Amino acid sequence: MPQHNYIGQSTTRVDALDKVTGATVYGYDFVLPDMLYGKAVFSARAHARIKRIDTRRARALAGVVAVVTAVEAPWIHGETVQDKPFFAGDKVRFIGEPVAAVAAVDEDIAEEATQLITVEYEDLPPYFSPEHACQADSLPIHENFDDYFQVDFIVGGSRVDKPNVLEHFKLRTGDVEKAFAAADVVFVDRYTVPVVGHAAMEPHAALAQVDPDTAQITVWSPTDAPFRAREELAQAFDCAEETIRLINPFQGGGFGAKGGLKVEPIALALAFHTNGRPVKVKFNREETFRSTLTRHAVSAEIKSGIMRNGQIRARAVTLYWDAGAYAEKSATVCIRASLFAPGPYRIPNVKVDGYSVYTNTPVAGAYRGYGIPQVTWACEQHMDELAGLIEMDPLEFRLINAYEEGDTSYWGEKLHAVGLKECLTKAAAALDWHEQPQNGTSRGLACMMKPSKIPTWSNAAVLVDGDGEISLLAGTVEIGQGCNTVFSQIVADELRVPIDHVTYADLDTDSTPFDSSTTSSRSTFHMGNAARAAAIDAREKIVSLAVTLFEANKEDLILSDGHVHVKGSPWVKKTLGDIITAGLGAGAIVRGEGAFSPDGGIFPDLDTGRTPKAAAFYMYGAQAAEVSVDEETGDVHVHRIAAAHDVGKAINPANCAAQIEGGVAMGLGHALHEQLVYNAQGEIMNPSFLDYHLLTSCDHTEIIPIIVERPVGDGPYGANGIGEPPVTLPPAAVGNAVAGAVKCRIHDLPITPERVYRAVQARADGRSV
Amino acid sequence: MTPPESMTDDLQPVQPLNFTLNGEPQNLRAPAYRLVLDLLRDVIGLTGTKEGCGTGDCGACTVLLNGRPVNTCLIFAGELHGAEVQTIEGLGGADDLHPLQSAFVAEGGVQCGYCTPGMILMAAALLEENPEPTDDEIRFALAGNLCRCTGYSRIINSVRRAAEEMRQSDSG
Repeated sequence: MPQHNYIGQSTTRVDALDKVTGATVYGYDFVLPDMLYGKAVFSARAHARIKRIDTRRARALAGVVAVVTAVEAPWIHGETVQDKPFFAGDKVRFIGEPVAAVAAVDEDIAEEATQLITVEYEDLPPYFSPEHACQADSLPIHENFDDYFQVDFIVGGSRVDKPNVLEHFKLRTGDVEKAFAAADVVFVDRYTVPVVGHAAMEPHAALAQVDPDTAQITVWSPTDAPFRAREELAQAFDCAEETIRLINPFQGGGFGAKGGLKVEPIALALAFHTNGRPVKVKFNREETFRSTLTRHAVSAEIKSGIMRNGQIRARAVTLYWDAGAYAEKSATVCIRASLFAPGPYRIPNVKVDGYSVYTNTPVAGAYRGYGIPQVTWACEQHMDELAGLIEMDPLEFRLINAYEEGDTSYWGEKLHAVGLKECLTKAAAALDWHEQPQNGTSRGLACMMKPSKIPTWSNAAVLVDGDGEISLLAGTVEIGQGCNTVFSQIVADELRVPIDHVTYADLDTDSTPFDSSTTSSRSTFHMGNAARAAAIDAREKIVSLAVTLFEANKEDLILSDGHVHVKGSPWVKKTLGDIITAGLGAGAIVRGEGAFSPDGGIFPDLDTGRTPKAAAFYMYGAQAAEVSVDEETGDVHVHRIAAAHDVGKAINPANCAAQIEGGVAMGLGHALHEQLVYNAQGEIMNPSFLDYHLLTSCDHTEIIPIIVERPVGDGPYGANGIGEPPVTLPPAAVGNAVAGAVKCRIHDLPITPERVYRAVQARADGRSV
Repeated sequence: MTPPESMTDDLQPVQPLNFTLNGEPQNLRAPAYRLVLDLLRDVIGLTGTKEGCGTGDCGACTVLLNGRPVNTCLIFAGELHGAEVQTIEGLGGADDLHPLQSAFVAEGGVQCGYCTPGMILMAAALLEENPEPTDDEIRFALAGNLCRCTGYSRIINSVRRAAEEMRQSDSG
């Protein structure tokens, strides 16, 4: 067995030094000589035909180099449904949709030019909720939906008997109606989650250049998925992927909003008209809120049939997902989260209908947790309501039903490495669950499971040169999660070298091996395996050279601290670099290759939602919150939150804890105050940090991170993932604690003082809210 | 809107601008209405000062102006004339880290790092004024510096640790 020097250690982040000195170059910072500044004109209407766009005055302004609209840039992109034009052509579908753009020699001129562009609209009826958009008499937001290029799991358009449906996900297991009839208690309730913003601290930016002679395209973007962005662009342009190059500067946070194409199409469309000069487009904060991405608003109706002994016999869930104006990732969010909406519980009879519906609101898409936060809010409020109906402790009720090792899930998958019950008991114990709450506080808990998508691919290369310098080429984007550190730990460990010998190469699709994306909490598992394999491959190649150099048997060679020696002769040692130079000549490099993709993933059946393997792996977690509520003001104070998460194996425990703390804090924002508010015209009314309330240091709460380790068979060293799960639970845990405090339930997020106050008043009046 | 009378002289298109930046004299010409944030990033090329909102709400663009923290997205270049400016690049480099910088590294106060320069400079202003802050005083001082990644626990720990180390090195 190899001796692990770094695995399981809280190694200091390898990117921290550059970040504390201001040396890190982010997407927003990146500049090129002779570059132009691009600025877009955005739709002022939610749903309207474009009658005329007048760009003449903008084109005439001194300093303007290019002006583009859908006429000059007629391309359409989309990952699962190719529905999103670079610029709105015949119609606009949300306030904030790009309509035109300008490139100019400086930002002020670009800004001035956009104000000289006029757009005439002819309004159409707008739809701001999925329920409204899919009423029988609603007009289609995408008239030509059936003609769009779409992947084979899309069940929308004319395949569904409601208008504007992008995806209808169905799950059918057992017979829910029969089970409801036989249940001791049947209960139904409805829960909602509003649209929220990603609000990464770095706004969106991209820089694009098109070589006028070769038409070679280069885009500098802090996207979380450069290879997928390349593929999506190649599909839009109908060109070979090799003609497009994506280079990643550092990303100042994304949380899903920097996947897909957001600001890149604007920069690129302009760059086709600047005779080779690069064009940079920086969205300001307001544009980032209005025009990039949001998280899906969801309404969920859940009906359950349970027995007095606590067993859940049946559950039916109907979900409406507000996709916004374009498909983005809404179909897969709907599928992968609706599948898990019944919760991580043994339920023999399950029926789910998830509808993802186009509306005239900004585009919703990937957001840390990929729909699981919304379904967890609904399911876990419902679970506490059920526990109340049979007068059972909410922890006990969950433990009776929670999945454990070897269970076959309601969608037909045999589950392994299930740390769910351990998470539940540890989170509860951290807040002394079985003791009476003190000082008027109240406690609540919630649990979840989150899939990581399948299939995806990761490849890595490890280069070792004659100086012993080691370079890791990996397509995982450092989005703040600490991947550079974790992969450096793995490579240093497998090569038995000090970690400061390892550098993380810049990410460039022309030289970095392919990786699917930095999403779905997949990187430690997938790229961790690939980086480990690449390091082992390099090690084996170096050891082969050392066998010749030392004239020794392979079994007698020992790698330690960047050197090789023969067993019994530690004083005769050579560095890895010396061995490479001696064996292959001066300037030689050893290149190790690694690849990983898990086997066995099968897409859920379109009629039943069933599959023997819906994920690469599952992440389980539970959180418990302690709150007090001021009934006179409705103010909720969260005192403590204990967050227990099964990470398989913590390769870097401090980093796992940091991910838990950060995710919990973001989730507390979702619990208590975050919501994008639209006016009657469909315009976001709070697109600023003044009006969109992020958690501040003054809102800081004590967070108790608890790491649970149930090793996953095919994970690197047993690890799975931790990026997303911590954000999924705080609203549900806090919601249950608040319900316990005020003896009534709030069904809609966020749990604002006004909502709490009204709920308390309604309780006093004998009404329900 | 008419600018206040005292400002009108500064609204000339381009004017000489002499100030000290990270200890070095700067003599340049810039429009007085150029935002200090853009001057630092686009003209001088110091991109450690970050733009997060442009409206003074997030603190990512914090620098020290005559020792006091300011949001550079809200102030004009003209206000720098004769002043001393310190950015993250001037607080300490890789070889001579300020105790706050080394504490943020050691305590894991950094994730994506975009808020970090502003956060550190705001904390530096706090420790200058109050070398022994309580946790509540740290939280209050950093209330205008938003972070979406960390949840603040490790940032607060970083500032507390730096304060302790600075007090120890002062008394030692």
